[in-house]
Amino acid sequence: MPIKQIGIDIPKVDANNKVRGVAQFGADLSVSSPLHLKVVRSTKHHAKVIKIKTEEASRVKGVERIFTAQDIPGKHLVGTITKDQPVLVSDRVRYVGDPLAIVAAQTIEAAEEAVKKVEILYEDLPSVHTPEEALKPHAPLIHDHGNLLIEFQVVKGDVVAGFKEAEVIVEELYETTWVDHAYMEPDAGIGFMDEEGRVTVVCPSQNVHYDQKEVAGVLSLPLEKVRIIQCATGGGFGGRLDITVQCLLALATYHLKRPVRIVYSREEVFDVISKRHPLTIRYKSGAKKDGRLTAIEVEILGDTGAYASYGATVGIRSAVHATGPYQVPNIKVRSRMAYTNNPWSGAMRGFGVPQIAFAHESQMDLLAKAIQMDPIDFRLKNALTIGSETATGQSLMASVGIGESLRRVKTWRDQLISVSCDSPRPHLRRGIGIGSMWYGIGNTGIANPSTAQIEILPNGEVRLLTGVADIGQGSDTVLLQMASEALGVPIQEIKLIRADTAFTTDAGATSASRQTYISGNAVLQAIRHLKQEILREAASFLQEDEADLFVEDGEVRHRKKRCISLPIREIAKRTQKRFKGEGSYDPETRKLDPQTGQGAPYATYAFATHLAEVEVDTETGKVKVIRVVACHDVGKAIHPQNIVGQIIGGVAMGVGFALMEEYIPGETTSFVNYLIPTSKDVPEVIPILVEDREPSGPFGAKGVGEPALIPSAPAILNAIADAIGERIYHLPANLERVLEAVKKSKRGGKTWQPC
Amino acid sequence: MEVNLRFTLNGRMIHVMVPPHWTLLRVLRETLGLTGTKEGCGIGECGACTVLMNGKPVNACLILAPKAEGKSIETVEALASQDSLHPLQKSFIQHGAVQCGFCTPGILMSAKALLEDKPHPDKEEVKEAISGHLCRCTGYQQIIEAIQRVGEKVKR
Repeated sequence: MPIKQIGIDIPKVDANNKVRGVAQFGADLSVSSPLHLKVVRSTKHHAKVIKIKTEEASRVKGVERIFTAQDIPGKHLVGTITKDQPVLVSDRVRYVGDPLAIVAAQTIEAAEEAVKKVEILYEDLPSVHTPEEALKPHAPLIHDHGNLLIEFQVVKGDVVAGFKEAEVIVEELYETTWVDHAYMEPDAGIGFMDEEGRVTVVCPSQNVHYDQKEVAGVLSLPLEKVRIIQCATGGGFGGRLDITVQCLLALATYHLKRPVRIVYSREEVFDVISKRHPLTIRYKSGAKKDGRLTAIEVEILGDTGAYASYGATVGIRSAVHATGPYQVPNIKVRSRMAYTNNPWSGAMRGFGVPQIAFAHESQMDLLAKAIQMDPIDFRLKNALTIGSETATGQSLMASVGIGESLRRVKTWRDQLISVSCDSPRPHLRRGIGIGSMWYGIGNTGIANPSTAQIEILPNGEVRLLTGVADIGQGSDTVLLQMASEALGVPIQEIKLIRADTAFTTDAGATSASRQTYISGNAVLQAIRHLKQEILREAASFLQEDEADLFVEDGEVRHRKKRCISLPIREIAKRTQKRFKGEGSYDPETRKLDPQTGQGAPYATYAFATHLAEVEVDTETGKVKVIRVVACHDVGKAIHPQNIVGQIIGGVAMGVGFALMEEYIPGETTSFVNYLIPTSKDVPEVIPILVEDREPSGPFGAKGVGEPALIPSAPAILNAIADAIGERIYHLPANLERVLEAVKKSKRGGKTWQPC
Repeated sequence: MEVNLRFTLNGRMIHVMVPPHWTLLRVLRETLGLTGTKEGCGIGECGACTVLMNGKPVNACLILAPKAEGKSIETVEALASQDSLHPLQKSFIQHGAVQCGFCTPGILMSAKALLEDKPHPDKEEVKEAISGHLCRCTGYQQIIEAIQRVGEKVKR
């Protein structure tokens, strides 16, 4: 029986353990008699550290050891791109939350008591809290290399000529704020020396091989002396791309040579894990009255906080995506990221694209209104198609589903408008809005390879080995589906070994919506190589010409002799050999020119359009999102139900980004003052999949993790503007901002025909 | 100082000695090793630690252990029998209601209490019943479908 695994909804392979409560997350891991770790953290925004006094804390009963930066044998600084973030601070704290010391104690209580007794002598330094301030000529320096982390430009055509040609020009300022990932599992994990003498850390992660490199550097150990294992991971959304608890656990394990355990509180997660970058975006765009965009000029300024983390990525990616999924002939985008003494910003679902999409989609509606064109028709007129050239000068050769997503949503919009009516209560206003997006799959214009192996052991066991961290999104399931389909072996007969540096090789991060596409391709290549090896062996075993043999449905078959068909696992058993296929894949990209930003940063792009229907209470400012139609071009849907799950979850996060979520440094401590959507805040989501196959994708697949979130907030904000006749330029559109907009609205909102 | 604590846990009588300031959640996870019940916030805001106390969903992080004295406590570990999953667990898998899975045990317990109280809830009733649970991955829709479908099956 041929195996058909692609495009079907098999049970997610991790779900059974999760519904039974037996999947082990960071705080569930057991290890014998661990010492408990707690971290001493900075209470200052910016200060020199004069002395860390640990004597009194050391005397607390149960305290075994207190570690400071002096105990670090290797590198003191970590960071995904720029290594500027101390594992433990020795000289200068740069934000409230910087780690200064680790207490290891026999009980949690003793560790907590000792943390309070560690005394830090500081000398205050002036602190900086906005990127504008940070970039002033005489601003206090946060890092010796200056407060500007990155400046990046995308320049194409002639914007002066483009704006001259424009018949309508719109220019506005958009602002977004810090957003917390709010993954449900607080960071936690264990450390121990494994049976082979490796410093071993088990914790939630989005990239164990990155963690391994950082820990090895910090401990000054060869890579093979450090082992990182990803446990069940309660969400990530980018927050677990950086180092969280890994180095703390590893440092304590290295010195103590005994098991240790750490569990962050929710407050600690809010305090010390990265945030979404607040961006200020000045956006000017022009169009002809016939609806053609002529030029955009965009200035992006972001707050990366105390440390670089993914600030450069966010700066570059937001600039590259600034046009939205549209053809614009004349472009000038400048993007800068500045250090401040605020909490550090890092990767969060979309790397700056959700922020820039809020701006470009608001602009599209404003322009459409100015030229009195239907907002969907206006988008369609400018939408990228096959053969289009992007802002970076890349020609799109295939799988450009933006037009189709707009057309599918338009059908919905037209139906909704024909049946929509306002509530009989006049203070409730309804509106409909559109948001579109594009998103480059994988890292931006740099190598981002993945590797994988597939093995058949002499006992016939099939093993798929991958470094990919499944953080709940379903990569385990999807990679197994692909392996099963390509190899012709049922899924339940393939053993998955993943995200343990002792057994698997680097697959890169679970980020940038890249694992289905990039690691999927690596798995397929591994299988091609495995098949070659099997055919070679089969030819000699069967004494047939290798060229006459092929693998199909898990069997070696002969092109002419029908009687020859031997399951591939039988070949391993009968020859008592182990077969291994190595696979790797690095998407074809062309790096961006540092002056002009021209290049081909991604091998493929995902596209999407959302429609949001909202009801605005003009008395309270409350916005209810009633429905979101979410249409996504995903290439080929390997597991449609997983994709739908990503989309609905992305919309929910988009509702939070649009209306509710605002992390306030020094104030946000819990879910009491950081609200994320509950079951009562989420709209009905109608997912629509457009499967415009990507020729370079595994079975035609692209990615959807981040695209799912990106168009929601723009669609919701456009719907609010439609409802009340006034636009909000600052996220989130909370009660105060909505009421302010209502007050400003000259028309007092849209008038609807009664039903 | 520790206190005696007796309660019924997943149908079996339990007797433990615990510090009186410990929460029920801590007793379940640390003393009894039942880590299916999760701690997401520690202050009753996220619902990840939901267990049933005398059939009603409660946040175990807010219940001081002595309050469990004499009560019947059910956790996610009690849902599946030796050889088969509870209908809610099956339905969650079938409907794609599990992503990272951290909120799943708590929501399952609230769903169980809901269906015992109201075997055929409508969508709004399901939304209400799980409104004390935060889930960051799913957007709730597939969870709501999974719960409702079990209710429909019970009806048939």
